[in-house]
Amino acid sequence: MSHLHIPDGLLPFWLWGSGLLVALVLLVLSGRAANPQRVAYQGALGGLMLAANALPIGPLEYHLSLAGPIGILLGPLGAFQAAFAVSAILALLGHGGLTVVGLNTLVLGAGAAVARPVYGVLARVMRVPWAMAWSTAAGQAVAGGLWLAVVLAAARPWGAPPQAPSHLERLVAFAFPLWLLGLAVESIVAWGIGRFLERVHPALLPGGLTVRAEAP
Amino acid sequence: MNDPLSQLDYCASVGRSPWHRATALGKLLLALGAIAIAVFAPTLRLLVATHAVVWVLATSSRLPGRVVLAAAGYPLVFSALFVASRWDGTLATPLVLVLRPLTASLTAAWLVGTTPYPDVFAPLARVLPRSVGDGLFLTYRALFALLARAERLVRALRMRGGLGGPPRQRLAHAGEGLGTLVVHGFERSRRLYATMLLRGHSGRVCGCRHYAEWSRADGWVVLTAAVLALLSVLLWRAT
Repeated sequence: MSHLHIPDGLLPFWLWGSGLLVALVLLVLSGRAANPQRVAYQGALGGLMLAANALPIGPLEYHLSLAGPIGILLGPLGAFQAAFAVSAILALLGHGGLTVVGLNTLVLGAGAAVARPVYGVLARVMRVPWAMAWSTAAGQAVAGGLWLAVVLAAARPWGAPPQAPSHLERLVAFAFPLWLLGLAVESIVAWGIGRFLERVHPALLPGGLTVRAEAP
Repeated sequence: MNDPLSQLDYCASVGRSPWHRATALGKLLLALGAIAIAVFAPTLRLLVATHAVVWVLATSSRLPGRVVLAAAGYPLVFSALFVASRWDGTLATPLVLVLRPLTASLTAAWLVGTTPYPDVFAPLARVLPRSVGDGLFLTYRALFALLARAERLVRALRMRGGLGGPPRQRLAHAGEGLGTLVVHGFERSRRLYATMLLRGHSGRVCGCRHYAEWSRADGWVVLTAAVLALLSVLLWRAT
């Protein structure tokens, strides 16, 4: 639930405009560190993220975001670029708005950016699947918090004073259980990914000696 | 091939309407203009008129109705949430909250359903940082290969009983399945990079200029843009 489903025309200009601006600045800064081989790997994992975001697995178009695992595997900068590609393509397919691309990138990118350093710490004290699950949960918590903040800001009509609590309560009542559910689902899936990679291809995980030698 | 994503992609390549023959750059600018009007329209009349124009675009592009409705109707659930949170007892507010996103998503579906992806991404890649522009192409390219692989994976999981049991177990199995896709993605990226080098990769994925090759069909794009501009002038302040 870290992807903003909010379509075009519902958010105030200051919100989506500033989101787009911040995302573009971060993209320019992160773009300097990428090489073509790295971009090919980002594209492959971005495709996985896009497939997860595009395929609903439950009611209300519910789907995975995979921001945490992709952030762990690509690192914050690579994951941020992948998040932008995913958000832009989804917007072109009518899934989320074009004006919300910047905010979507920031929300997805924040989840990914938080997961990697948390994983770095946890992987020293617990096994890979659990480290992956808990760091994904941390990333989801941050991304979900940002998501909720944007939704609450959007719920306020343009230029109007703060709304009656009942309206905001309705939104929070709707969003909070979904957020918790998303956090649990993403963490368990991340646990499965970590378990598989630990057994089959540990070189892809960050932190190992072989990772630096093999992974792009 | 049954999901709307794949069908839109297929229609973009095989469609024969005038919109399919028009250049990507013109359609991209028209789409951005239509979305800007939908987002900033100060009056309901202008919004309704723009919405009608976009429906004309979508129906004349001969895209399958089911695909257009699936893509365009996506925002309805979330618009309903906003309608509920901003309900003021009038008809105008819910109409605006529904028509704005619907117009924008219908425009996006029309654009993507009438333009092959390299032509849509090429102008965007020109204005984005190089690695980000390349990422758009590579991500989209990887999507359909991964979707097909994921479909086979789900079938295999189902046949072997991997989708039974409690939700926690099913999700963990799904995660392990995604792990295979990560490994596949890594191997695929290595092959792709080797291919890029063999073909003399110049540092940018797409150098095609088809997106700006103007044709007669662009007259329809110009005409639609003129209609939208006229409507904006006439209805911007109409009450």
